[in-house]
Amino acid sequence: MRKTGFLYDDRYLLHDTGQYHPEMPDRLRAAYKGLEQAGLLQNIIPVKAVKANQKWIEAVHSIKYLMRFEDACLLGMTEFDYPDNQMCKDTYNIAALAVGGIMEAAKMMMEGRIENAFCAVRPPGHHAEVSKAMGFCYFNNVAITARYLQQEWGIGRVGIVDFDVHHGNGTQHIFEADPTVFYYSVHEHPSFSFPGTGRDFEKGIDLGYGFTLNSPMLPGQGDTEFKHLIERDLIPAFAQFQPEVIIVSAGFDAHIDDEMSNINLSTECYTWIMDKIMEMGDSYSKGRVLSVLEGGYCLERLPELIANHVRVLLGIKP
Amino acid sequence: MFIDKSMTKKVITIHKDAPILEASEKMKQNNIRHIPVVDKDNILLGVVTDRDIRSAMPSVALADLDTQKERERITKLKVEDIMTKNPVTISPANTLEDAIMLMQQTKVGAFPVVDENRKLQGIISIRDMMRAFINVLGIEEPGTLLCILVENKLGQMKRIVDAISEEKVSFGSILVARYWDENKRAVFPYLLTNNVMNIKKKLKNMGFTLLDPMNWYLDQLPKA
Repeated sequence: MRKTGFLYDDRYLLHDTGQYHPEMPDRLRAAYKGLEQAGLLQNIIPVKAVKANQKWIEAVHSIKYLMRFEDACLLGMTEFDYPDNQMCKDTYNIAALAVGGIMEAAKMMMEGRIENAFCAVRPPGHHAEVSKAMGFCYFNNVAITARYLQQEWGIGRVGIVDFDVHHGNGTQHIFEADPTVFYYSVHEHPSFSFPGTGRDFEKGIDLGYGFTLNSPMLPGQGDTEFKHLIERDLIPAFAQFQPEVIIVSAGFDAHIDDEMSNINLSTECYTWIMDKIMEMGDSYSKGRVLSVLEGGYCLERLPELIANHVRVLLGIKP
Repeated sequence: MFIDKSMTKKVITIHKDAPILEASEKMKQNNIRHIPVVDKDNILLGVVTDRDIRSAMPSVALADLDTQKERERITKLKVEDIMTKNPVTISPANTLEDAIMLMQQTKVGAFPVVDENRKLQGIISIRDMMRAFINVLGIEEPGTLLCILVENKLGQMKRIVDAISEEKVSFGSILVARYWDENKRAVFPYLLTNNVMNIKKKLKNMGFTLLDPMNWYLDQLPKA
């Protein structure tokens, strides 16, 4: 069994999105329950949530944005930048606690105390832009962690795999001119789904051209097309790029029972993609795979999906 | 919606006596395909396109013809010899709709914009129209597109807009596709949100049909 870190903190439940918002605290409760019921809590190594040092958040987001966001929380605003982004007075601190926890997991991984990790955090991050909150996301968790790994731990090439059903516009834009971070995303086609980016001709800009890769899926497509795109696009791209660490934007909202999308992935397919990512991690990244929760809104399916996901990280065959 | 608000005003032009190689060079440098030909008072005389130039060049298939002679012939060719002398033009007071319809009819990719004295004011190309279309669709802002099938009768749009507004979601755009079905219309609201689950449920409960995205068509008109 591998040494797998697990980040979770009850304070992540405090980010209050109001009534009827899909990005709700129950999502994390479901994730935790999944590991508990599967008897996996005894196998994982807990990662402590700590508040991120602001300098790392500033490695991605503008200072003006941080101030704007913090002020909005202090003033008790319940909405930020878009009506999608419902929040409360604690949101700024919880967001800093989420990304800080992920960086802590990255640190433990680099120190060899764990081999890989799953970070069950709220709020999610991949839609957050340098200076704008978007799609329930405030700090771009994976982007900040990628910069932290590069600047604090001397990692050269970071590979990001984003299998959330929505395109990670924030992550793509942050790294689109950067050849040291490869951003790969598979998602529902932007003409049919939020946020309207991630078309197959978006491949990066300037020096970063060729280091962004998007595989849009059409509504109604499922496992077969998904697996085909991963084999056709992601596998050869990472074989060439040879990432030293792989960060996963793990969204579970492409599941057939998730009403957020029209992509019909099976439960089994989520295990399949994680197996593929682990194989790449072993081949190129010394097994260093850091998985971070993004979307996934079907409370009935999340426990099983997350338990399976962590099983793959642990190297336990179901 | 007027042409003069969307056209390119700093137009690259050329003199009628200029060699065609100069026109070709200008197109390459500026990444354009149409150059208005004007006199010293900026009066429009014609348009030269990349296609006019290509037609004037020798075919690659005939490469072993007398190349020296060919080269001389091409060097001597002037813009005036190959330009379109009576190009389709449009006025700054015309609208974008006029331009789209005219492009559809004439299959021309760009119109010189001239005033009543044929003095050149600008140029409007299919690319300018695309920019306007992207703006109208609102798709540069993040959002989600829905497709709702409705009976073709008064007041349906109000029900949809009210239902969505109650959920505090704003609209990036709304398109209505015609000729979908004799008695129906397909309404495409582009909503500036990631969160359409509740809206979809609500619309279904109101009796609307949400169309499967794989059956969405904007273009139900017979092809011209």
